[in-house]
Amino acid sequence: MSVARRAFIQMSVGATVGILFTPTVWTALDDVSIWTQNWPWIPSLKYGEVKGVPTVSKMCESGCAVKVRTVAGEAFGTEGNMDNPLSGGGICPLCANGVQVMNSPTRIKAPMLNGKEISWDDANKLVSEKLAAAGSKVAVISGDQTGTVNEVFSGLLASQGSDAFYSMPSDMQAADKAWTGLMGGSGQIGYDMENADVVLLAGADALESWGPTVANMKAFANNENGKFIFAGPMQTRTASVTSKWVPVPAEGMAAFTLGITYYVLQAGKSVPAADFDQFKAMVISGYTPAKVEAATGVKADAMAEIAKQLLAADNPVVVPGGSVAANGAAFALNLLLGGAMKVLPEFGKAVETAMTRSEMLKQDILKGVSADVLMVYEANPFYALPEQVKGAFTVAFDSVETETTAAADLVLPTPHAYERADDLATPYGVASATYSLGVPVSKPTLNVMNAADFVLGLADLGFENFDEVLEAKVTAVGADMDELAEGAAYVLEESADVSGVTLAASVLGKAAVPVKGTGAVALAPYTLLNVGTANQATTPNAPCTISNNQLIGDNMVVMMASATAKKLGVGVGSKVKLSGGNGDCEALVQVFEGVLPGVVAAPLGMGHTVGDEFSKGKGDNVYKILTVSSEAAAGASTWAGSTVNVAKI
Amino acid sequence: MQTKEFKIQWGMVIDIDKCTGCGACMVGCQVENNIAPMTKKDPYNYVQALTTDRDDAANKLKTLTWMNVYELTNGETFPNHETAYLPRPCMQCGNPACVPVCPVVATEKNEEGGIVSQIYPRCIGCRYCMAACPYHARYFNWFDPLWPEGMDKGLSPSTSVRPRGVVEKCSFCHSRYLDAKDKARQDGDDPMNLADGAYNTACADICPTKAITFGDLNNPEHKVHELAKSKNSYRLLEKLGLAPQVYYMSEREWVRELGDNNNADGGGHGAPSKSHG
Amino acid sequence: MDSKLFPEGTQRCSLGQFSIWMAFLFAVFAWGFYGAVLVLYNGIGTTGLDNYFGFGAWITFDLAVIALGAGAFFTGLLKYILKIKQLEKIINLTVIVGFCCYAGAMLVLVLDVGQPTRAWFGYWHPNVHSMLTEVIFCITCYLTVLIIEFVPLILEQKQLNKIPFIHALAHNMHVNMALFAGIGAFLSTFHQGSLGGMYGVLIGRPFAFREGFFIWPWTFFLFVLSAVGSGPVFTVLVATLMEKLTGKKLVDFKTKALMGKIAGSMLCVYLFFKILDTWAWANGYLPSVGLTFDDMFHGFIYGKWLMFSEIILCGVVPAIMLVTPSIRNRPGLLYTAAILDCIGVSLNRYIFTVQTIAFPVMPFDSWQLYYPNWVEYATSIMIIAFGFIVISLSYRYLPVFPLETKLNYQSGK
Repeated sequence: MSVARRAFIQMSVGATVGILFTPTVWTALDDVSIWTQNWPWIPSLKYGEVKGVPTVSKMCESGCAVKVRTVAGEAFGTEGNMDNPLSGGGICPLCANGVQVMNSPTRIKAPMLNGKEISWDDANKLVSEKLAAAGSKVAVISGDQTGTVNEVFSGLLASQGSDAFYSMPSDMQAADKAWTGLMGGSGQIGYDMENADVVLLAGADALESWGPTVANMKAFANNENGKFIFAGPMQTRTASVTSKWVPVPAEGMAAFTLGITYYVLQAGKSVPAADFDQFKAMVISGYTPAKVEAATGVKADAMAEIAKQLLAADNPVVVPGGSVAANGAAFALNLLLGGAMKVLPEFGKAVETAMTRSEMLKQDILKGVSADVLMVYEANPFYALPEQVKGAFTVAFDSVETETTAAADLVLPTPHAYERADDLATPYGVASATYSLGVPVSKPTLNVMNAADFVLGLADLGFENFDEVLEAKVTAVGADMDELAEGAAYVLEESADVSGVTLAASVLGKAAVPVKGTGAVALAPYTLLNVGTANQATTPNAPCTISNNQLIGDNMVVMMASATAKKLGVGVGSKVKLSGGNGDCEALVQVFEGVLPGVVAAPLGMGHTVGDEFSKGKGDNVYKILTVSSEAAAGASTWAGSTVNVAKI
Repeated sequence: MQTKEFKIQWGMVIDIDKCTGCGACMVGCQVENNIAPMTKKDPYNYVQALTTDRDDAANKLKTLTWMNVYELTNGETFPNHETAYLPRPCMQCGNPACVPVCPVVATEKNEEGGIVSQIYPRCIGCRYCMAACPYHARYFNWFDPLWPEGMDKGLSPSTSVRPRGVVEKCSFCHSRYLDAKDKARQDGDDPMNLADGAYNTACADICPTKAITFGDLNNPEHKVHELAKSKNSYRLLEKLGLAPQVYYMSEREWVRELGDNNNADGGGHGAPSKSHG
Repeated sequence: MDSKLFPEGTQRCSLGQFSIWMAFLFAVFAWGFYGAVLVLYNGIGTTGLDNYFGFGAWITFDLAVIALGAGAFFTGLLKYILKIKQLEKIINLTVIVGFCCYAGAMLVLVLDVGQPTRAWFGYWHPNVHSMLTEVIFCITCYLTVLIIEFVPLILEQKQLNKIPFIHALAHNMHVNMALFAGIGAFLSTFHQGSLGGMYGVLIGRPFAFREGFFIWPWTFFLFVLSAVGSGPVFTVLVATLMEKLTGKKLVDFKTKALMGKIAGSMLCVYLFFKILDTWAWANGYLPSVGLTFDDMFHGFIYGKWLMFSEIILCGVVPAIMLVTPSIRNRPGLLYTAAILDCIGVSLNRYIFTVQTIAFPVMPFDSWQLYYPNWVEYATSIMIIAFGFIVISLSYRYLPVFPLETKLNYQSGK
């Protein structure tokens, strides 16, 4: 080959080989790839001993028994507690995100008076002054259904001469009003869903949002051969796993239950109650299958079939949800069937002057609250009950910013559930009286104080701090503090006495008549834990679990059957306005055949105006359009029977 | 690619008749694996404002849900309508579609146990594996993860935080497998013969109805071994031949039918398709 | 002003006019570059891609330009290996077009890949089973080959060529060009095929999956054939566009018609196998996984009309036009057929990229829509601007067209 070509080839080959043999290329590439694996703005992890610390979480309404997972002392996640019967290893989606809420920037960092930070001492002085001036015109709204902190608040009210203790509307309250109010019973109703062979969930969304959801789900899972039937206006998540869905309108639940009772009575069942004859006469004449079918639309055959299964069962139970009348009817039916309904005794009190749980459930918040000093504990009435709640001077205790803390005059931050000691006594629905305790897992990093400690600084109830109260409670319960602190629960198998209970015959007959509002379409509001409850908005990691049947973009979605959509002249994706109650809501339409025709199902828990980016501005607040109607006969207010008008926009 | 045989085959049997779609598994998975909540605005990045917002969780096509719950319907009208919920982790296929296609071997199925690995420092983010997976089990970091102020204080030690531009997916909580093996060694047990429940995934742990059962499909002492063989058990898209290690179970035939395409099947069923909405 | 730099025996427009043209191209490029900066700074989330559509506009664009840039290797193969002398009239242009297409594709991939600085992992940690590893190897090597084929053209720039060393270098490179052409043809065939193979191996995606021959699914061969069936006429279209913009004749029609004939013949071969393959897939493979042909389509955007347009209107029709001399030899019809052909190939790449992953394989899953957003458009158009810039500069200063002087008696614009 020519010199030139040889030179060319030598030069090219030499250059290539030379470059490849220097370290430059290879180390540069290596460095580049290491940079790409260690971008400085990507958080690195902390390592250390991993522990699971048991405690209780109050993020969902009935509370979960959890284990908070920590690494080198820093909490990072939540799991269930196998040793605790309320969990059995599982937890709800809200509590699963507990640590993230604890570390959220929407935590309230210090006590605030009208937006300006004040010291705890000043707050104490201020509230003491207000209380002195208010006398007995003090009210408390509590969002905690199960904690002894309620006794502390109740003790404060007693010292002011007030009995204005309110709880946020709940199934627990409706059940108590029926059981102790109308039927003369005592204690708290429980349902042994794990050992029942036929379970009729009459309006109780037990596997999603009713009662002690996780305990219910555990019972359902462990109940190998039990048959679960769900009755309600819409196929909730519960209905996706029950054997059957019976479409029943919400306002017709009591009548439906009495319609089944008709068959049970015909089969000869009875109860040694003082008003049994009156009850039987009332049902046989007023709640014949034909009459119930006419009033509610539920076919007589359907009720007959359910009655047959309940009668053939060894251990049946009817679990009610909804109005007081529906609860009362279910309790009467359970008494007739003699199955898995339990009556649980209340645990002893820690605070002498406090009300019992049943007494705490007496006040009807839907009738309205008005006081000179209003204290709200970890509840969000300014979101869920915007028209009903008024306080001249409002003190809000909460750990994260809510509509209520935004509206309150004085905001007192509480520690997050994992930063404090708390207890959980017999959530409504469990089969036995159960007591659990939680100790702090993480040290609070913000300027917070346990609400009970603050209240103990306002009135002399005989305790220095909340830890002493809890000790007293544990003693009253008869449990062992050390075992409780390790996550075990104290379970009392006893049942309370049911003799002397009546069937509320004189009231139930009238109260069970379905009453509906005047709007064109019935409204079936439903709660999904991952969307949020009345007191707890959706959590940071939950929004991706919210489906397009609840939320599309920032728009709430309402569901209706195709027949309903056709009648209203709307279709999938139509934008509509629902008017009812105290306002209106905007939503997109989704056609879902699991809703009773003539009913529109709307998700509760959206439409927050205060909160973090995950809940604020998403959807609309369906609490605005619920109508409060009076169950006059039962002496209670209810949201059942809400109706709305639907207009296309 | 040949289907590799493993002595241990980690798998799941998910009982659809127990799943209520509550979403606890999805939340628990995100917490365990340090998936940042999905936020729309980045207060620190002014350049972000020049282009599209980041995605919030309303955009279901951009959410990082390694465990994802689907809602199934039987397609009937009222009152015969039925729903069901189907949680879908990574199938850890025996004959994966994704493993052979990765150009840099960032995903492999070569460890005893049969878990398909996903190595973040290796992944170049070409998304070919995402195109390959019919189960949509693979997710891409379209942006860097962003935690609200202070929320990245408590991160799980199980899974490193991924930067943008890499693919991620369910790993059957692989670090828990390593922890379980360590514990077995400390206790003097055989790490290659773990007891049923010694190693459990976050989603199976947290599920309130215990709809998800996890274990070694090859080990007769593990519950999944029998459950997988029940007459009501099936796998998704069986006909494609991917051999998933996740089984589903339902007593309802319509639910089982939705597990695979049945519109043309030799003889054909003649029934109209209820699928592909 | 820069007339000293013009190729021998040619005339070019004034520097001022050229600068305005360049400024316009750079403005378009800058707009796209802005989009590219946003992508690199913020992440690929700035595009319209999502978890269902990991592949989208960019991949479609890449595959389309790579297919259309196939004129480079195929013409090279025919000229240097099969010694079809006529093609030397247009061979330089095919190299430049090829270079623009492949360099452009690489630039898009820098944006499309999540961690571009790790791209070299394809070499360091290759996966012998993966078609994409093969693609990475071949397109990077082939780009190198194209650069090697392009460099002599640059070295033959009138002033540069006067330097003896450069002249010798250019000469030596030319002498070895057959070797590079052969390597290029080999590499290109394999990666055109592997790009098709990428889709054909997807056992989880019934729309794209194909059986095949040994490790190569049928799509491997179909993609090679469709590339060589359109690449040559794409170059013809580029040349014709250049002629329109510059007002000069650059390539004699005979060469163009020959390119058309080559492409047309390959297109016929391709369509024969394509139609056979589609029929076999629809009647054999799909039913075996429980699916029907109708299941593969949905609504308007994923309708059957798209597939039929690709195969009939933009496939069979231009194929017939190109192989029929009486049609092919009429310039207007040649160009029409060329345009339809190129659209057909692009449609094919789009359908295989987007519809494959749009089809919801799980029965309870649903069809989703994908549309690219401005970032994806802008960056793709940036590459087109890049191509225009390279071709404009090459045309102005390099001896691209051997027949230019002969075909133009007077000076043009």
